[in-house]
Amino acid sequence: MEKVIILRYAEIHLKGKNRGYFERMLSMNLEKSLKGLRHELHRTSGRWLVEKFEEGREGEIAGRVSKVFGVHSYSVGLLTGSELDEIYAAAKLVAPQSGSFKVETHRGYKKYPLTSPEISAAIGGRLLAGNPNLKVDVHAPDSVVYIDVREHGSALVFGEFGAGAGGMPVGSAGKGLLMISGGIDSPVAGYMMAKRGLTVELLHFHSYPYTNDGAKEKVVTLSKLLSPYTQVTRLTTVSVTRIQEEIHAKCANELNVTLLRRFMFRIAERLARERGYQCLITGESLGQVASQTMEGMTSSNAVVTLPVLRPLVGFDKDEIIERAKAIGTYETSILPYEDCCTVFLPEFPATKPKLSFVEEEEGKLDVEKLVCEAMQTAETIAF
Amino acid sequence: MIYLDNAATTRPDGDAFLRAAQFCNENFYNPSARYSGGFAVHTKLDGARESILRWIADPAAFDLVFTAGGTEADNQAVFSGARRGNAVTTAGEHSAVERSFTELKNRGVEPRFAPLHADGSVDAEKLLSLVDEKTSFVSVVHVNNETGAVNDIFAIAKAVKQKNPRAVFHSDGVQAFGKLPVRLTQEIDLYSVSAHKIGGLKGTGALFKRRQLALPPLIFGGGQENTLRSGTENVLGILDFSYAAERQFSALAENYARVKGLRAMFWEKLDKSLFTLLSPQDGSPYILTVSAEGARGEVLQRMLFDAGVAVGTGSACSSKNRFSRILRACGHSESVLDGVLRVSFSRETAEEEVSAAAELFNGIAKKYKSRV
Repeated sequence: MEKVIILRYAEIHLKGKNRGYFERMLSMNLEKSLKGLRHELHRTSGRWLVEKFEEGREGEIAGRVSKVFGVHSYSVGLLTGSELDEIYAAAKLVAPQSGSFKVETHRGYKKYPLTSPEISAAIGGRLLAGNPNLKVDVHAPDSVVYIDVREHGSALVFGEFGAGAGGMPVGSAGKGLLMISGGIDSPVAGYMMAKRGLTVELLHFHSYPYTNDGAKEKVVTLSKLLSPYTQVTRLTTVSVTRIQEEIHAKCANELNVTLLRRFMFRIAERLARERGYQCLITGESLGQVASQTMEGMTSSNAVVTLPVLRPLVGFDKDEIIERAKAIGTYETSILPYEDCCTVFLPEFPATKPKLSFVEEEEGKLDVEKLVCEAMQTAETIAF
Repeated sequence: MIYLDNAATTRPDGDAFLRAAQFCNENFYNPSARYSGGFAVHTKLDGARESILRWIADPAAFDLVFTAGGTEADNQAVFSGARRGNAVTTAGEHSAVERSFTELKNRGVEPRFAPLHADGSVDAEKLLSLVDEKTSFVSVVHVNNETGAVNDIFAIAKAVKQKNPRAVFHSDGVQAFGKLPVRLTQEIDLYSVSAHKIGGLKGTGALFKRRQLALPPLIFGGGQENTLRSGTENVLGILDFSYAAERQFSALAENYARVKGLRAMFWEKLDKSLFTLLSPQDGSPYILTVSAEGARGEVLQRMLFDAGVAVGTGSACSSKNRFSRILRACGHSESVLDGVLRVSFSRETAEEEVSAAAELFNGIAKKYKSRV
């Protein structure tokens, strides 16, 4: 008898001929998530088994694999022989100490001498006889003992189901570049796109010396918190200090943020094309701040041709915060480091900038030169 | 790097460190061990204690309790001294005292804060008016760590004792020790100091204690430091502290005069259209605080560091605690508070460094204002 972790897929089963591709992706991601922990990963009829890990580390392994997108649910269970006595020995360990229960059997090995209901009845009866605190309830039991009789004389016995991260395996849907600010929203946006199978890499803009090293450090921390989900390995930082100074010196004050965002999008697109990313991702949510209005988004989109994905566009702040807390990025996001120093923030930013006015104001700047200069400041950190 | 952030910490005195390290390397025994090796370390520690004591106090009248830094010494003073009624301090205290006073509320002692003058010194009259027969503890910082203003703690302590002889009087002397001529009088019950502000190591401090004063400990355990501060002694830090203090005190008067000249010269060279002076003229010569009104001190600080000068600041770019609590208590406007830079000197500061730094101050403040 050996402790194992059983993993079940999420949506992959919907895929027809591409199924092999998705499964290979998931398998690769699972291996990545278990790096540094002794284990063996085996695929068996529609699920994975993590076996041969060090005793006592099942919690850590379950924690890691439950964050891998594509995993629908997991159970810590026991792998044992398929003789009834062996199954009973395992079931005794999995069964609750008291309360109502039932046994549910799945018989993948159809030549097994007993049928599924017969196995359930036999094991259930023995469990009941062995523990007076238990009672059977087949309709609404407190707990269920699952038995899975497999080919080659083995069986799996397990109890609870833990929730996996769901979604599609990261890498199965292409590559995107996430603009990460250090706030609450962008990590959640990255999480959501990774959940749909996108490989997400990160781009952070800073305005040192107007912002401090703490702000950058914070983004590095956020990237590391996200990486169990997104499997992010790289963060690129770019300085927009010169751009902010130029905008501040030459353009209408209320457009500071609108213009800066256009520069950020341009830089992001350039980096994306250099590195083969297929889309840009932002944490914008419609109407959340002055620059995230329809007009603001129009003005930013006007300077790029790559698709811009905004997975949070229809979310309320509360909903975003709730997700940030669930992923574990919230506490870091609210640390008091500013991603963009308030010295350049206008008192009354334009909420509905007209594209023609924006373009006219931008005409006062040498856009190409500023973008090129900013690209020169790019630094990439690999984790 | 021109280092002008000596009020934050000082460059460790290399000779002092080597001497201390050499001793510890050869004598690693626990000072409480009852064989001769341990006893030798114990004796060495007592030598260091007495040598530090002598610089500012009469060893017959004062004890010295070693702590893990100035903050711990302040905490020990506050929580051992303020045990009932109310406790009085100033609005210009280092957080080690200020936060401890705030905590007193939870322990049933009422904290009272006396207001400051614009230069950062305490309004002594108002402070005295807060002292009454129920006051168990009074704490007044000796040198304000953000402006360099010097409080006449001796006169204040005397007046406090006249009003309430039972009140314990403490002063945080971290920015004064080794810099200003100090002689502890009988009215000063407790005085905290820190090693790393005078060339010692971080993690070492001490509390001077008037012999007659009985105090409960803050940290319990093996009974070291006369039961006042348990825990195996930080032999390296303490010896290093005594050697660093030796160097610092042996030329205190000359350094005081020279640094006073440097401070005057620095202010002289600053462009007065860009900077205003927040420090008092008669404050500690080791600290000069100015404001580049309308600029962000923290941004200037980073620009200056990248240009080769390290200085302190009183503001932060973050929305939380953006302004210095102490400078706010001095009554400055937000635009003044935004632009605060603290320049702090040491005995090692050279004249050329000071004039080069002043040039950079002018240049960078000008550049900042042209861009923002």
